[in-house]
Amino acid sequence: MIGFLQNVIDAISLGSLYALAALGIGLLFGVLRLINFAHGDFISVGAYALIVPPLQASADVTAQMFIGRWPLPFMLVATSTIVIALAILCYLLLFRYLKSSSPPTLMIASFAASYVIQNVLLIVYGAREKSVNLWPSLIQQVDIGALHVAKLQLATIGATMILMLLLTAILRLTPLGVQMRAAAEDFRMAQYLGVRSNYVISVAFAVSGVLAVAVSLLFVAQTGILTFQMGVPLMLFAFIGTVIGGMGSLVGAAVGGMAVGLAASLLQAYLPGEMRSFRDAFVFTLVILILIVRPTGLFPTRAFTERV
Amino acid sequence: MTMEPHRRRLETIWSPIVLIGIVAVVVALGQFSGAESVTLTINEMLIRMVVVIGVYTFVGNTGILSFGQVAFMCIGAYAAGWAAGPPAWKQLMLTGLPAFLNETQYPFIVAVLGGGLLATVIAALFGAAIIRLTGIAASIATFAFLAAVNSLYSNWDSVTAGASSIIGIPTVANSWVFFAYVAFAIICAALFQQSRVGLMVRASRDDEIAAKSVAINVVHVRLSAFVLSAFLVGLGGGLYAHFLGVISVDVFYLNLTFLTLAMLIIGGSGSLSGAVIGTLFVTLIVEILRKFEAGVTIQSHILGLPRYSQEIGLGIVLALVLVLRPSGLTNGSEIPCPFSRLSMRRSRSEQETLTSS
Amino acid sequence: MPLIEVDDVHVNYGRLSALRGVSLNVEDGEIVCICGPNGAGKSTILKAIAGGVRPRLGAIRFAGVALMGKAPEAISRLGLSFVPEGRHVFSTLSVDENLRIGSYQRRDRTNINADRERMLELFPRLRERLKQPAGKLSGGEQQMLVICRALMTRPRIILVDEPSLGLAPQIIGRVYDILLDMRRRDNVTLLINEQSSERVMRVADRVYVLRNGVIRLCIRPADIADGRSLKSAYFGFDEPQETLQKGAQQ
Repeated sequence: MIGFLQNVIDAISLGSLYALAALGIGLLFGVLRLINFAHGDFISVGAYALIVPPLQASADVTAQMFIGRWPLPFMLVATSTIVIALAILCYLLLFRYLKSSSPPTLMIASFAASYVIQNVLLIVYGAREKSVNLWPSLIQQVDIGALHVAKLQLATIGATMILMLLLTAILRLTPLGVQMRAAAEDFRMAQYLGVRSNYVISVAFAVSGVLAVAVSLLFVAQTGILTFQMGVPLMLFAFIGTVIGGMGSLVGAAVGGMAVGLAASLLQAYLPGEMRSFRDAFVFTLVILILIVRPTGLFPTRAFTERV
Repeated sequence: MTMEPHRRRLETIWSPIVLIGIVAVVVALGQFSGAESVTLTINEMLIRMVVVIGVYTFVGNTGILSFGQVAFMCIGAYAAGWAAGPPAWKQLMLTGLPAFLNETQYPFIVAVLGGGLLATVIAALFGAAIIRLTGIAASIATFAFLAAVNSLYSNWDSVTAGASSIIGIPTVANSWVFFAYVAFAIICAALFQQSRVGLMVRASRDDEIAAKSVAINVVHVRLSAFVLSAFLVGLGGGLYAHFLGVISVDVFYLNLTFLTLAMLIIGGSGSLSGAVIGTLFVTLIVEILRKFEAGVTIQSHILGLPRYSQEIGLGIVLALVLVLRPSGLTNGSEIPCPFSRLSMRRSRSEQETLTSS
Repeated sequence: MPLIEVDDVHVNYGRLSALRGVSLNVEDGEIVCICGPNGAGKSTILKAIAGGVRPRLGAIRFAGVALMGKAPEAISRLGLSFVPEGRHVFSTLSVDENLRIGSYQRRDRTNINADRERMLELFPRLRERLKQPAGKLSGGEQQMLVICRALMTRPRIILVDEPSLGLAPQIIGRVYDILLDMRRRDNVTLLINEQSSERVMRVADRVYVLRNGVIRLCIRPADIADGRSLKSAYFGFDEPQETLQKGAQQ
C-alpha cells in the first residue's frame, strides 16, 4: 500500500509538471490556434538563463550559476523577463504575420522557430551537456506519515496549484482575462468589439512564457542537467496532454497534461521489466487510440469542433 | 477542351520529364567535378529527394500535414539493414531477427524494395486506423506515430540494436543509381496524381464535402495516397542505409522531419515540381552556408559564420517563405509546358488549401 | 460630409467576385437599409466597412477617416460597431461578461454602468440571466444580447447584419425597438441588412438594393407610392432607365 501511494505521489508530481507545460501550450492554442512547438525551447531557454553565458564554446561540464544564485524572487523575475522577451519576440517577428493562417502553417512556423532557438542555444552554449545544481536543499525528503516525499515534489505540486489558481483568477476576474477568453472563443467577433488583438495575444505569449519558466526551474531542479534539447520531451508530452484533454480548453489541457504524467509515471512503475523501456511507445500509442475514438479530445470547447 | 490528344499527352508528361532532366543535369555536373565531397552531397540530396517526393505524395495531394513520414524512412532503412547487413554481425547483435534475415545477405535492390514494402504494409495498417481523422487531429496522430516508432526502435535491442547502430551495410556510391530511384519516384508520383485515384484525392482536398457528394470514397483514396507515400519514403530509407552503411534510430526523428518538410514547403507543397525544386534549392542554400561556416577568404579577409548557421539559415528561410509566399517557390504549379497555351497551372484554390484557412 | 462613404468597392473571395463596384453613403443620424437576395453581397459590404474583409479596390471612409487597411478593433474604437449575422455570443462567457466586453474600450467609466442599466431595463430577461453562460440563452435572447453588447461600445453608427433571421416576430419587434430608441436618444446612425422588404419600407430613411455584387437601386420609402420599383430591383425584372440613373447617382 505504501509503495502504491509512493508511486501515486511521484505520478502526481510528474503530472503537475506536464499539466503546467500543457497549460502553456493550450493557452496559445486557444487564443491563436497555434500549437507552439517552440514552447519546449522556451523551457530550455529558461533553464539556460540560470548559468553564465560562455564567451566561447565552453568545455566545462559543470556550469557556473549566475542568475541561478540569486534569491528566489529576483531569479524568478530575471528568468521570466528573459523568456517573456523571447516569447513576445517570436510573436512579433513571426506569428503576428500568420494570424489568419491555417493551423498546419502555424505548426510548421513554430517548428521552424523551435529549430532556430535550439541552434542558437547550440551556438552560445555548445552541444555538451552541462550539470547544474539548483536548490539542492529540495532533494531532501519530508516524512508524511509513513511516506517519504521529496520537498521538490511538494514544491512542484504546490507551484502548479498556485499558478493554476492565478491563471484562473486572471482569466475570470480581470478585464484582460475576459478579453482573452472572448478572443479564444471567437477571435473575429472580439476584434469587432474593439478588443486589441495584438495586445491580447502578446499577453498570452507572455503568460505562456511565465508558465514555461516555472516548468524549467522545477525540471532543472529535478534533473540537474542542461542540454539544448531538454525541453523537447516535455513539449511532446505537454502537447499530447493538450490534445487528449481537448484542444481549446484550458481545463482540458491541464487535465490532459496531468493524465499523461500519471500514465507515464505509473506505467514506469508497474510495467513488467522488459516492457519498461517501451513506456514511451505505449504512451504514444495510447494517444493515437484516444484520437481515433475522440478526435477532439476529452473536453473540447464548442468553438473548436468543426462543423459541416 | 478542344485539344488534340497528342498535345494533351505532351502536357501531362512535360513536367515530370523536365524535372528528371534537371536532376540528371545536376548529377552530371557533380560527376564532372570529380570531388568526392560533391558526390556525397549529391547522393544525400538524391535520397532526400525521394523522401520529399514521398512526403509530397501524401501532404500535397491530400492537404493533410503529416509529421510521421520519416518514421517510414526509419522502417525502410532498418528493413534494408536487416536484409543487407553482414550475416555474422546480425547473428551476433540482432538475435531477435528471424532466420531468413539473419542468415543471408540480400542484394541492394532486394533490400531497398524490402524496405519500401515493409513501410507500405505498416502504412496500410496504421493508415487504416487514422485515415478518418482530418486536420489537426490527423497531424497530431502522425506526430505520435513518429514518436512511437522512434521509441520502439530505440528500445527493441534484439532487432534494431537499440541505441547503437546497425553497421556494415554494403555501400553504394554511384550517383546514377540513386538518380534512377529519383526518376522512379517522380514517375510514380506523376502517374498517381494524374490517375483517377489521384484526381479524386485532390478533389477531396479542395472540398471534402463536395467530393463525398459525388460518391468519392474520401477515406479510400486518401489511404492510397498515404500508402504510396510510405512506399516511396521507405525506399528512401533503404537507399539511405546503403548510402551511409550505418543506421541509427536518432537520425530519423525531429531534425530530419523538419528538413524534409522545409524542403517541401519552400519548394511548394502543392506540386511535384515543388518537391523536387525545394530539395534542390534547400540543398544549395545549406551548402552555401556550410562554405561560409568553414570560412570564405575574400581578399585576405576570412569571412566566417558561426557553426550551426546552416540550421538557423534554413529555419529563417522557411519562416520567410511561410510569411511571404506560403505556396512556395513554385507557387503550387508544375513546370509549364511552353508548347501550348494552357500551362499546367493549378488553380489558386488548390495550393491555398494547405497554407491558408 | 456623410458619416460613411463607400466608394467603388470591389471585394473578392479567392476568384469569386462578391462586390463589383459598390458605392453608397450613410448620413449622420440616418437609418439606411440594404436589401437584396441571398448571395448579393450584403454581408460582404458590412464586413468590408467593419474591417472584416479587405477590398481589392475602392475606398471606405468613416467621418472622413479612411478605413481601408485598418484592423477591425481600430475601426471599432473609432465609433463603429458591427453585429454580424448569426449572433456570435461568447457562449462560454456570462451574459454580464458579454455586455462588459463592449465597454472596455471606453474611457467614460461613469456612463458605462448607466448604459448597462438601460440595456437591462429594456430587456429584463437579460438581467435574469446575468450570471449564466451566454450559450444557454435562446435565439431571441442571444440576438438581444449581441445588439446590447454592440451598443455598449457607445458607437456613432451600428451596422447590423440580418437582425431578424430566425427570430419570432415579437422578438424582432423588440430588437428594432431598441435600435430605434438608440437612434432617438443618442443619435446613433443605423445601417442594417434586412431581408423583409416590408419592415424596411416602414423603418428606413433610405434603402439600397444590392444584387449580384452591385447596387441596383437607391430609394426613399417616403417617395414610393407602392413597392413596385423596390420589388423589380430586388427580383431582377427590367428596370426603367430613370430608376437605374437614380441608383447610379446615389
